[in-house]
Amino acid sequence: MGTISLEHSDRLYWLGRYTERVFTTLKTLQKLYDRTIDNRSGYAEYLGYFGLSDSYGSSRDFFRSFLYDSTNPNSVAYSLERAYDNGIVLREEISTETLSFLQLAKDTLAKSEMSENTRLSLLPLVDQLYAFWGCIADNVYDEEKKNIIYCGKTVERLDLYMRTGYPYKSVKKEFGRLCKRLKNVPENTPFCCNSQYFGEIEDIVGSAEKYSSESSTALVDLEHLFEPMGAAV
Amino acid sequence: MQAKDGEWYILEDNLRIPSGASYPLIARELTRIAAPQAFRENDIVDNRNYAKLLKETMENANCGGIRAILTPGRYNAAYFEHSYLAEHTGSVLVQNDELFVEDNILYHRTYSGGKTRIGVLYRRIADEYLDPLNFLPESLIGIPNLMEVYRSGNVGIINAPGNGVADDKGIYYFVPKMIKYYLDEEPILHNAPTYLPFYEDDMKYVLDNLEKLVIKDVAEAGGYGVVFGNDLTKEKLEEFRRTIIAEPRRFIAQEVIDFLDLPIFDNGETVMRKADLRAFVLTGEITKVWASGLTRFSRNPDSFVVNSSQGGGFKDTWVLSR
Repeated sequence: MGTISLEHSDRLYWLGRYTERVFTTLKTLQKLYDRTIDNRSGYAEYLGYFGLSDSYGSSRDFFRSFLYDSTNPNSVAYSLERAYDNGIVLREEISTETLSFLQLAKDTLAKSEMSENTRLSLLPLVDQLYAFWGCIADNVYDEEKKNIIYCGKTVERLDLYMRTGYPYKSVKKEFGRLCKRLKNVPENTPFCCNSQYFGEIEDIVGSAEKYSSESSTALVDLEHLFEPMGAAV
Repeated sequence: MQAKDGEWYILEDNLRIPSGASYPLIARELTRIAAPQAFRENDIVDNRNYAKLLKETMENANCGGIRAILTPGRYNAAYFEHSYLAEHTGSVLVQNDELFVEDNILYHRTYSGGKTRIGVLYRRIADEYLDPLNFLPESLIGIPNLMEVYRSGNVGIINAPGNGVADDKGIYYFVPKMIKYYLDEEPILHNAPTYLPFYEDDMKYVLDNLEKLVIKDVAEAGGYGVVFGNDLTKEKLEEFRRTIIAEPRRFIAQEVIDFLDLPIFDNGETVMRKADLRAFVLTGEITKVWASGLTRFSRNPDSFVVNSSQGGGFKDTWVLSR
């Protein structure tokens, strides 16, 4: 029954964003965890990406906070709760089966907190998130709704890639993906992009040289991507 | 419910917004995975057609437009059911702020600024909150002017507003008489022996036998307003007698039926608990009884109260075809 309310479109978008935030944060933390085997303070650079100082006594405290502390807005636990909050009011759009993978992910994360081997215990979580996305692809028949979720997912990934210093090649690839998504957004909907901001991102991401010096501008533009035209700051 | 002597009794009717059909559906899905042998070896009627029956019922009341299920929101105790039934009937799950009335038609407001007509609304909120311009003005979960649309025949509402009159326990007393009057038939299932103190003979019986009866406030639901006479002290019984005399229309009294105990798996052990059955009947073009139901049980070994709002649990209900 293809009718989408403003509330649901917003939920669909943020479901995509938060689930992707869980996934990319988890992947990044896994890499950091590996790095801290050789260098115990290897996580400090990551804090810098978010403008945070190192108030953690040890890498152990850092990982506990960024994985399990639901009061830390940059943690996996926090993002997963928000993803679930959005998912639970979208059951009829995304299906019970899809939602169950977010529930499983929550259970896995909670169980992992008690585990002696954090990385090993988190491996199923990545699989569950892949299963979630598989279910979205398979169970959401309405392409318009699916595209809203994917827009959220891609914007989030691009944001995190730019914010956390992913290689230019990855950023460019993700931007290309976002362009495809945006082409499928119907007119007069909240996810029609602001052409001014889009144009600026396109310009910056179009050149490796420009990106290396102006990625922070592109990041700000991305935050404003869905602002209505004329609302530019 | 079934009494220990094997006889079945109707304890009450619920024609407003009974919930619980989704729980046996979920339980059935899980138990078919966990215990396939139980289903292979017993002729259990498949109950997974509930959404189809509901969809047919909704379509029967559809006045032209999409199907929608109206929920008060995710913090409602039955929200899971609302979203689950929306998913399985292919209906849109809506809250009041997504809906509006224009030119006497009910619409769903879309994110592009457009509107989609709603032809039938399965509302999961009580009558008094449905339309603040017709009922409780302080309702924040209703849709202004919904009743005008309904009166004009431009939207179907399930269950129909006003059905709740049949839930009144005072009306329950008359249901066997209604069956006889309107259908000229004897009821197949019997009410529990019930007394309405409004009538003189019944009043006398209730006052004389209060300590062995269960008293129910006619306006309450969900297991509230239920008092067992044998739980009351002499002083309280006397006080209650005075209340009944003062407000005879407010209460019904029933003989206490000894419910059948069913085995319940609780904390790793099988225990026996009081249980009842909520049957689901859907009336569209024809009336259909769902071949399943919500079996509710008490968690407390000494209690007859099975309502989930008071801690009761539930089981799937198997109807055997043999």
